[in-house]
Amino acid sequence: MKRLEDISLLGERIANDDQLAYRQLFIHFYNNLFRFVMGFTRSKELTEEIVSDVFINVWRRRKSIEEIKNLKLYLYVSAKNITFNYLKKLHRENLADLDAVEIEPEDPFSDPGAAMITREMNSKLRTAINSLPPRCKLIFKLIKEDGLTYKETAQLLNISESTVDNQLSIALKKIGGAIRFIFRHN
Amino acid sequence: MDNQHSPSHHQFWTLLSKKLAKEANPEELQELQFILLKNPDLHHQADMLAEMWQQEAKTNRLEDEAVYMRHIMKHKDEFFVEENNEDIHDVETATDENHGFFHSFFRSKRLTIFSFALFIMLVTGAIYLFTQKGNVDLVAEQAISSIVTKNGSRTKIVLPDGSQVWLNAGSNLDYNNSTFNKELREVSLNGEAYFDVTKNPEKPFIIHTKKMDIKVLGTVFNVRSYRDEKIAEASLIKGSIEVTLKDRKDQKIILKPNEKISISNEEPKTEKKPEKITSVKAAPARIPQFEVNDLKPNPTYNIIGEIAWTQNKLFFEDETLEDIGLMIERWFGKKVTIANESLKNVHYTGNFENETLEEVLLSLKLSKSFNFRIGNDNVVIY
Repeated sequence: MKRLEDISLLGERIANDDQLAYRQLFIHFYNNLFRFVMGFTRSKELTEEIVSDVFINVWRRRKSIEEIKNLKLYLYVSAKNITFNYLKKLHRENLADLDAVEIEPEDPFSDPGAAMITREMNSKLRTAINSLPPRCKLIFKLIKEDGLTYKETAQLLNISESTVDNQLSIALKKIGGAIRFIFRHN
Repeated sequence: MDNQHSPSHHQFWTLLSKKLAKEANPEELQELQFILLKNPDLHHQADMLAEMWQQEAKTNRLEDEAVYMRHIMKHKDEFFVEENNEDIHDVETATDENHGFFHSFFRSKRLTIFSFALFIMLVTGAIYLFTQKGNVDLVAEQAISSIVTKNGSRTKIVLPDGSQVWLNAGSNLDYNNSTFNKELREVSLNGEAYFDVTKNPEKPFIIHTKKMDIKVLGTVFNVRSYRDEKIAEASLIKGSIEVTLKDRKDQKIILKPNEKISISNEEPKTEKKPEKITSVKAAPARIPQFEVNDLKPNPTYNIIGEIAWTQNKLFFEDETLEDIGLMIERWFGKKVTIANESLKNVHYTGNFENETLEEVLLSLKLSKSFNFRIGNDNVVIY
């Protein structure tokens, strides 16, 4: 997902009741937030409801949107809080756990043909990513797919930046290992 | 490779991670270079991971739009407001220039209509007559719902059967309130619309246009049939549709997903008075030319030109300035005149999303030059 350079500009426009800007924000972040929340809830219906809540809160508070320093991080933190609240209400607190989260990562190569990647390599990569430990996979997703920084990831998950650093290198080492295997056998 | 677990290898993964996540400082980047120089066997993995990192997620814009619609509908009180019917006709597209208006609409909470800066005029309950003798039974009075978009505005509607229609600028869609969804689901279209039809094999959904009728069971597709354009098109995204050309009713053309049919929209004789779409007479001797092609995303922009407008994009690919003029006219709601004949056949490609009219023209001008003048309600290209 491309980074949205002018997210704070979008925020300003939303503060001025600009629904086109709101729609842009929604469409830009929806998918990634959905997959983040889905990792905890494992229910599509509940996830859609939660992400809808995240965005409607932004719309309701648009007049004070400029008080939010980092709108992107705000969306994720808000998604996490709403999710955990729901899980509590449903007495499923056990799911609000970084070591139980089930993230389904995107395909490593959405268009393998175009990138000159063999189908075999693509599936090895996917398997490697899928077999990462839950927390590690979540951190990989947040940094690679959602474009969060180490610092943002650490704040969101209430962990230290060095943990983020560590977990991401573990992820890349494992994924890299899968490629090395293929490389040597070709 | 026997030293996979050595300190420098551990360091390698940390540094590579930082580099990909754009967290590395110059010293760290240098250190990474150094490790790679000493361990050429790591190059392949580093390159592949970098390549993988750059991949963009596959997005499904149509699905995203649908989710957005559900979101808006769920909280419609915060986005829609009630309005008296009399005032609706003057409602125009809300752009940056009329924020004040937009703003006050929200504060007053009196809007009826959907308003992501696109407004519609909804004239429900108007009485029309279907006057032609041909294929449609003559019914004395019918309640026709007519949804009209002016040039410069687009809208989305949900039909009584739950089917969704995105109506592009300068278009109208009519259906009969009393018969729609009884045995058939019939609508008439002049202009361009993107349909997401609710599945119901018992009640086929039929779209009448000037030159073709399109019958569907449940599917997603785009129809473009503006009376002032030379070509009418139907593009299928998923499902299947059956197209019958008005001029050769015996032949049915079945489209598969990712195909489009284009047919000539021209009449043998010039029409004097505009007719209602449903009233086009059957089968003059002339056979319209048509062709079926694959829909292909534009490789540079990765969008399918035919449906770019549903994503709020003004997109054209290798089209003549004359055709682009018509698109701009509808998009921005200003009459476009090309005063210099030789410019009409110059081809341009472009992709615009939030640009103003002036920015669009300036950008086109960069590839092949022309002059233009933007007035209050018109544009002259010369």
